[in-house]
Amino acid sequence: MASSTFPTPYAGSHTTTQVTSKTTSVPWYIWWGVLAVTSSSIGGAWDVSWHRSIGRDSFWTPAHMAIYACGVLAAIICGYLILINTFGRNAKENTATVNVLGFRAPLGAFIAAWGGIAMITSAPFDNWWHAAYGLDVKIVSPPHTLLILGIRGVGIGILFLILAAMNRASGEESNERTFKTLQRLFLYIGGLFVSGQMFFLLEYTWDVKLHSVSPYVAMGIALPFIFAMLSQASRYKWAATSTAAVYMTIAIAEILILPLFPAQPKLGPVFYPVTHMVPAKFPILIFAPALALDLLWQRTRAWKPWTIALVSGFLFMAVLVMVEWPFANFLLSKASENRFFGTGYFDYNSQPNGYDRLRIFFEEDHGATLFAGLLRAAVYGSIGTWIGLNFGRWMRSVQR
Amino acid sequence: MNCLSKPIRLLLFFALLFALPHAVQAHVGSKDVYEQVNAGPYKLFVTIRTPTVIPGVATVEVRSSGATVKNIHITPLPITGEASKHPPTSDPMKASTADPAFFTGNIWMMASGSWQVRFDVSGDAGDQVVSVPVPAVAISTLKMQHGLGITLGILGLFLVVSMAGIVAAAVRDARLEPGATPSPNRKRKAILATICSLAFMALLLWGGATWWNVEAAAYSLNVYHPMSVSPSLSGNLLNLNVAAYDGDKERASRSNKDFLPDHGHLMHLYAIREPEMDAVFHLHPELASIGDFRISLPTMPAGEYKLYGDIVHANGFPETLVSTITVPANMPGTPPGADDASGYPQPLSHGELGNSYKLPDGYTMVWDRPATVSANTAYAFHFHLIDGDGKPASDVQPYMGMAGHAAFVKTDGTVFAHTHPEGSAAMAALMLANGSSGTDHNTMNMDMSAHNEPLSSTVEFPYGFPSSGRYRIFVQMKHSATIETGAFDVIVP
Repeated sequence: MASSTFPTPYAGSHTTTQVTSKTTSVPWYIWWGVLAVTSSSIGGAWDVSWHRSIGRDSFWTPAHMAIYACGVLAAIICGYLILINTFGRNAKENTATVNVLGFRAPLGAFIAAWGGIAMITSAPFDNWWHAAYGLDVKIVSPPHTLLILGIRGVGIGILFLILAAMNRASGEESNERTFKTLQRLFLYIGGLFVSGQMFFLLEYTWDVKLHSVSPYVAMGIALPFIFAMLSQASRYKWAATSTAAVYMTIAIAEILILPLFPAQPKLGPVFYPVTHMVPAKFPILIFAPALALDLLWQRTRAWKPWTIALVSGFLFMAVLVMVEWPFANFLLSKASENRFFGTGYFDYNSQPNGYDRLRIFFEEDHGATLFAGLLRAAVYGSIGTWIGLNFGRWMRSVQR
Repeated sequence: MNCLSKPIRLLLFFALLFALPHAVQAHVGSKDVYEQVNAGPYKLFVTIRTPTVIPGVATVEVRSSGATVKNIHITPLPITGEASKHPPTSDPMKASTADPAFFTGNIWMMASGSWQVRFDVSGDAGDQVVSVPVPAVAISTLKMQHGLGITLGILGLFLVVSMAGIVAAAVRDARLEPGATPSPNRKRKAILATICSLAFMALLLWGGATWWNVEAAAYSLNVYHPMSVSPSLSGNLLNLNVAAYDGDKERASRSNKDFLPDHGHLMHLYAIREPEMDAVFHLHPELASIGDFRISLPTMPAGEYKLYGDIVHANGFPETLVSTITVPANMPGTPPGADDASGYPQPLSHGELGNSYKLPDGYTMVWDRPATVSANTAYAFHFHLIDGDGKPASDVQPYMGMAGHAAFVKTDGTVFAHTHPEGSAAMAALMLANGSSGTDHNTMNMDMSAHNEPLSSTVEFPYGFPSSGRYRIFVQMKHSATIETGAFDVIVP
């Protein structure tokens, strides 16, 4: 397994293909795709802050526009790629395409287009949902899940567009610079992906919940899978660490930037008089377990995948708990109520007798419950790693 | 309850439809608030059309009279508790271009409970503030329109089919060197992958549909139900036991120990003989112990009675508790209380009552019936009390602090609204919202017994019928020591 776990990009001799010899720079649509995914990530964080500071507002908030700009950009890019590769004059010459229901384009274009359609579908569905059941502030509802699935679809599509270009460039030494740029873009989008996973888990990883099992189980399911996949697909030995760093940097930037802007709640009940945009909570320190995974994977290339996966799940969870558990004590202390850690920011509807405002842990787990829960989380991590390693390896061979 | 057949529902999670039975709210089946309030010299006729789901949007309409109003800002906030101290930013109402005295606006009701809309009014007479209480509750869930269901179904089907196509392409083509053609083996694998992906998506959709059901069931728990009341009649002693709640969050704000007096009474009980609505009693049971209202009934004709008991909770949230009793023949009767009233209009089956109602003591009550009456339109209905000589009554007295009380009752029993000249909001809630302390009993009791000047012989009630159908309106006014009950019928087209 040594060679397949972390191959060196320029060591092998690959057949020069028509496409790789042409690929001298990063295609324009990849830059636009990266912009689209960035826009939705910023929009998502901004929108959550908007709902926590101002409350529900019109559809035309800048945060919503940033989210839907992702769909519009994806539609333009994918529409162009599908049209040009199916009906274009040079359609026959461009062979780095796949066939979906008779249309031809790179695989990533189809996935991103699918994501765009899912986003569009979610809009009337969500609208009806709110009319039928109320305008809930829950992130995890069926129509929101479809929207997030759509946004994620666009992200995966762009990731595959980069990946195919990257995989083709990896055979050519003359394309080393292009490969490096693509790899950086891939890791950046991967980092946004990790941010997306953590965004979806916001309700589970609230700082007051960090002494219970549920956030660790949620992260055990969501993170090792994606770290293993990104690590394999990117061929970069610090992939987990660098993508975790992207997440933490963005989250800390949010704490530093958002409170600079004044905001007032437009809706009651107001339990806490908000005066400025409320940022998300301080990020989970996933940088540490990610670094541990990178170090492990660099040293275990000769191991069988299932043993790597087994050890990875337990290592990830052990390091995460060792770092985050004491850090949660700090987050709930007075010492963290400052501009950097930002634990003094609350939603307008956080009640004075709520756990968040009182800064006390919610339903702490102890003893056997805690041990069994963390064990379960580690096992999920191992399963996730195994799937991620295999899927990542498959991704590395994607050419179209 | 679903519009689409079961297989489609399962396959297209998106087309799953729900509808829950329409439920009642403060009053019965009459959710909107119609209120006439004075903000200093400004007189506002306020209509608040509350949403059927919470959170949701309420529309607010104001017709101003009195001093000229330039602009109005509206703010929703709870009547009591911590959040009542932190109003959100207000929203301006929009003045109609055709009629500058008519203003419209929208507000979000973000949580169930006892709310108020605060009106900040400015105009020729300076700035004034007045609040109107709004009980905010979810009363139903929506059914999905057929067209939307089909559109979402088609989009959903397309998403499933195209995803299967993408999976097939990923397996068949994605890993091929550009220019190469897929081998038969890859093609076979692609077919297998397509089948597996379809099965997987079916599983996801099934999971999604289950999740949807769970969410819908959880939501339906938040749909408002009034507190349950059990009536029991022994001799002529009526006991109304209001059950304590140990239930969910929404109901935690309502208990059977937190009743506020409204017009001097903890409960205003209307007993209407069914099905002919030919006997009506407005009674005032006393609280004997926690949650136990008791009254010795006056002499009543035998038959089945529908009971509508109006109460107000400490946070200003009003409820109408509905039950039925059967009064046996020859039930002994106790003399009615000072504020109790009764009336015996002709049975419904004898035809429609007109605009003039002959009272037993020779007086007449007259309704200025509007030329047309339509559902969901705000009206100020005027009634006059005429004495035995055909002149406007000159001895009108306040009846429990008000110029009159009215009950708008739909003959099928689905609507009951007990209203006052100020409007359909409970007086106790109106006073709480406008800053009277709940402990100020003189104010809360609306003790106007010291009122010596006779009142006008005309009384008006702001109200809008919530739906079409036949209604009977009971109007009560007092002159000298007599409490009159007039009755009028209206068919709302």
